[in-house]
Amino acid sequence: MAPENMSISVNGQSQVPPGFRFHPTEEELLQYYLNKKVSNQRIDLDVIREVDLNKLEPWDIQEKCKIGTTPQNDWYFFSHKDKKYPTGTRTNRATAAGFWKATGRDKVICSNSRRIGMRKTLVFYKGRAPHGQKSDWIMHEYRLDDNNTSNCNITNVPTVVGDAAQEEGWVVCRIFKKKNLHKILSSPILSTTSITTETRSGQSLFDSCPEGALEQILQYMGRTCKEEENEAYINNNSTRFNLQPINTGISNTSNHNGFHEKFLKLPTLDSPNSTSSQDCYQPNIHEGMMVTENNNNPLSPFTDHHQNMDYHAHHMDSGITNWAALDRLVASQLNGQTETSRQLACFNITDPYDNDDHDHELQLPSTLRGPLSSSNTYHATHDYNNREIDLWNFDRQSSPLSSSDTLCHLSTGPI
Amino acid sequence: MGDNQFKLPPGFRFDPTDEELVVHFLQRKATLLPFHPDVIPDLHLYPYDPWELNGKALSEGKQWYFYSRRAQNRVTSNGYWKTLGIEEPIFSSSSSNSTSKVGMKRYLTFYVGEAPNSGIKTNWIMHEYRLSSSASDCASSSTTTRSSKRRGQPKTEYSGYVLCRVYERDEEEDDDDDGTELSCLDEVFLSLDDLDEISLPN
Repeated sequence: MAPENMSISVNGQSQVPPGFRFHPTEEELLQYYLNKKVSNQRIDLDVIREVDLNKLEPWDIQEKCKIGTTPQNDWYFFSHKDKKYPTGTRTNRATAAGFWKATGRDKVICSNSRRIGMRKTLVFYKGRAPHGQKSDWIMHEYRLDDNNTSNCNITNVPTVVGDAAQEEGWVVCRIFKKKNLHKILSSPILSTTSITTETRSGQSLFDSCPEGALEQILQYMGRTCKEEENEAYINNNSTRFNLQPINTGISNTSNHNGFHEKFLKLPTLDSPNSTSSQDCYQPNIHEGMMVTENNNNPLSPFTDHHQNMDYHAHHMDSGITNWAALDRLVASQLNGQTETSRQLACFNITDPYDNDDHDHELQLPSTLRGPLSSSNTYHATHDYNNREIDLWNFDRQSSPLSSSDTLCHLSTGPI
Repeated sequence: MGDNQFKLPPGFRFDPTDEELVVHFLQRKATLLPFHPDVIPDLHLYPYDPWELNGKALSEGKQWYFYSRRAQNRVTSNGYWKTLGIEEPIFSSSSSNSTSKVGMKRYLTFYVGEAPNSGIKTNWIMHEYRLSSSASDCASSSTTTRSSKRRGQPKTEYSGYVLCRVYERDEEEDDDDDGTELSCLDEVFLSLDDLDEISLPN
């Protein structure tokens, strides 16, 4: 590709021709752009600029890394990694307003079944660690792999090897705002396009979930959860046969607090299903709640739950509006003859959750749901349809309230 | 495929918005204004079956773009396009005329077989863009329902040019995790991050 052909200047006045957008594949990012950058070769077009991550907030990057005049959903830049401590290997990614925090595991990027690099996912938090507030800004940071020979079939490469070397030098980054399916769905004006695209992307979110990934997660969580499950089982039994001591006994408080804390972690396992299994969880909460209230014990360990309940009730409201929105969506899609049956399939799932049912289920005292409910949902995770809804649920969880929301679903077992 | 002489560096894709398709490509085509890049071919005289479009229409990924003329029945050699009955106004947000309706988009599905009723539905979808009957008189009408209703027979819409985007809906959405969205795994880890924070003693 000869430079003469480049009649477009990108960051100056003009112009990528209308209709064209910079959507590089990961391969292009690594093998063309980052490779050239690292080896100091000239890149014909100054599409990807250099950004000092410490100086620019994500919303500033957005401005600086504009390509042409067309609207963009993602922005690209080169960044030079800079060590947090002179001797250490940790990277400093703090800005004036917040910081980037890595999440998950690095993903291996392959080309022709050869490892070419790694991708790290980071989230922008406003404020200072550890009290930062999570934002919707996501960064994918790509680095080249020195280790070019290794086979791509090993996807879970331990990232320790050569990590020190990889912690400096150029990386190429993409930032984007996490799509909030929720907001879009509940907005009253729905153009067909937004439905289509959102549905599609939502869909692909699930379909693109690698087979092994789920198992990985489950395994990852399995350890903690199994223990807790057992404990829950034992405790639940005693709860059922002997309610009094638990709710009145101050001596039990510490024990319960400990327990409570454990359950705070439980959402790791169960939260993906919380939406779909609300019918079995909610009532238990109510049960516990009522007992607590009857006893009127200010020292009751359930005070926390109480609060959470409030949060939760609050949250349910918003949840219902959203389901309503989904219903509307289904209706509108049906009226307009859906473009794809797929979309319908996707939205039909929401039917059981229409408002009335929801309210109703909240009232149901279900003593029938036994201690095993948590393990049931564990298996239910294999149900892909359910997961579909769940991820939407994840979106919701970015709000501070929702954390207690999850907690609520989970703390029901032992009560 | 037009006089497509220009080249873009790796990573650029033809991924136009509805508005761009109408305002840049369709309006200019219809008014015979020259435009660059002239990447979309006119296939009006060639009613290809959708699977024949490759190499004839502008292809980007698994989508094909071409110009055609407005037609009541879009019939090809092996089937026909049937409208889904969904029409959607396209607005221009250009600063000069704040949100005016510039065009309409309708959806069609391809059926193999004989029109109108004996065909078998396929996964091929067409988005057909046309210009509004008169782009100016609907200006700044936020009441989209009014303008999208036919008022009698629409006037000849410029030259009757339409722009078509054709693609085959995937039965199983392919796993092209090019990183423009969060992977499912990432989402899970993100929510795990939340939980980490909760379990921290305050």
